[in-house]
Amino acid sequence: MMPYFKFNYFGVDTSLVIAVIIGIGFGFALERGGFGNARILAAQFYFYNMRVLKVMLTAIVTAMLGLFYFSWIGWLDLSLVYMTDTFIVPQILGGLILGVGFVVGGYCPGTSVVSASTGRYDGMIYFAGIFFGIFIFGEMFPILENFYNSTPMGRVTLPDFLGLSYGMVVFLVVAMALGAFAAAEWGEKVRFRITGRIKE
Amino acid sequence: MKNWIVSLSVPKKLAIVAGILAILALVIGNSGNKNKITVNAKELSLSTIKDQDKINTITLADWLIKEKLDFTLVDLRPEKEFTEYSIPGSININMENLLNSDLKRNQKILLYGNDDVTSAQAWFILKSSGYKGVYILNGGLNSWKNEILYPKRSANLSPEDSVKFESIKQVSLHFGGSPQIQNGESTSNALVTPSPKVAPNLPKVAIPSATTKKKKEGC
Repeated sequence: MMPYFKFNYFGVDTSLVIAVIIGIGFGFALERGGFGNARILAAQFYFYNMRVLKVMLTAIVTAMLGLFYFSWIGWLDLSLVYMTDTFIVPQILGGLILGVGFVVGGYCPGTSVVSASTGRYDGMIYFAGIFFGIFIFGEMFPILENFYNSTPMGRVTLPDFLGLSYGMVVFLVVAMALGAFAAAEWGEKVRFRITGRIKE
Repeated sequence: MKNWIVSLSVPKKLAIVAGILAILALVIGNSGNKNKITVNAKELSLSTIKDQDKINTITLADWLIKEKLDFTLVDLRPEKEFTEYSIPGSININMENLLNSDLKRNQKILLYGNDDVTSAQAWFILKSSGYKGVYILNGGLNSWKNEILYPKRSANLSPEDSVKFESIKQVSLHFGGSPQIQNGESTSNALVTPSPKVAPNLPKVAIPSATTKKKKEGC
C-alpha cells in the first residue's frame, strides 16, 4: 500500500536515494519539455507560447487521475499523502511574489535548476538569487514570523473546502484542463494566421 | 468510427482518455478512503468528561466472577506479554490490527494495556471509526495487578476495612493472585485458605509466578 515511506517499506536513507532518482527523472522531463529555456517559460505570460500551460495541466491531470484511481483501487491511502498546511494570506502574497519573479527572471525555482544544469548563465544567476533570497528571508524571519503563521487553515483540500466529492473535483479540473488545451491550440492557430509563426 | 479514432493525434487520444476517466470519476464520487474519518468532537469530549468510558478493575473482576460476559475484553499489549499473563477471557489485538480485527461496531469493547495510554489511543481510534461501546479499563493491567492480583493490606486495619479487604482477598484468590500485607509478604499461605466455592468455571486462569511478580518492597 502506498505511500510506501509512510508504511515503512524503506527507511530514510533509501527514501533519499529514491528521491534523487525521481528528481533526475523530473529534471530530465522538464528539460525535454523545454523548461530549461527562460524564453519559452516567460512567453507563457505574454501568451506567445502556451507550452507551460499545456505541460503543467498535463502533469496535474495525469497525477490527479493517477492518485484518484490508485486510491479507489486501494493501492494508495490518500489521507497519508503529505500536504502543506494552508495559511491563506501569506501564501497569496508569496504566490504573487513568486509570479512576479517568474515573469521578470523567466524561471521558477525548479526550472532555474534545470536551466543552470544545462549550462545557461541566466539560470545559474537565478539559482544564486534563490539562495540569496532564502538567506535574506531567514535573517528577516523574526520580523516576518507573525505574518508567516497568520490565517492558518490547517490541511485543506478542494473537495473539503467546496463540499464536493473527490470525483466531482477531478471531473471539473479535467474539464477545465481540456478546455484550456483546446483554447491554447485555437489561440496558436489564430496567432499563426496573423503572424505566420507558430512558436515565439 | 475506428478510422476516426486512428486519425486523431496522440494528444487528442490522450485527451479523450482523460475525459473518459474524469467522467468515471464523477460516477465513483469519493475514492473510497476508508481510513478517513469524521469525528464528532463534542460527543467525544462529553463522554470523556462524564467518565462514562472507564471501568474500574473491581467492577471488571465482579463482572468476570458473575460471568457477565456481554463484552469483549481486548488486550492491546504485544503478543509476548499477552502470552505471559492476561486477564482471563481477554483476546489479544495489536494497535495496528485494531480496525481490521473481528470487533463489531455494536459490540461492547473493554480495552486494556499496561497503563491507560495505549487504551486511550485505541479508544479514540475505535470511537472515531464508529464503534459505539468502547470502554477503558481504568489504570490498565498495572492497576489490575495492584488491586486484584496483589492487593495490599496495611498492617493495622480498622475492623471495617478488614471486612472489605477480606472480600477483595477472595476476589484476588479467585484470579490466582496473592494478597499482600504491607511488608510485602504473601499472605496466601499464612492467612487464608482459598475457598473452593469461589472458583466457578471461568476461562482458565494463567497464574502468574509469584517469584517474578512479587513486589520488591521492604528491602
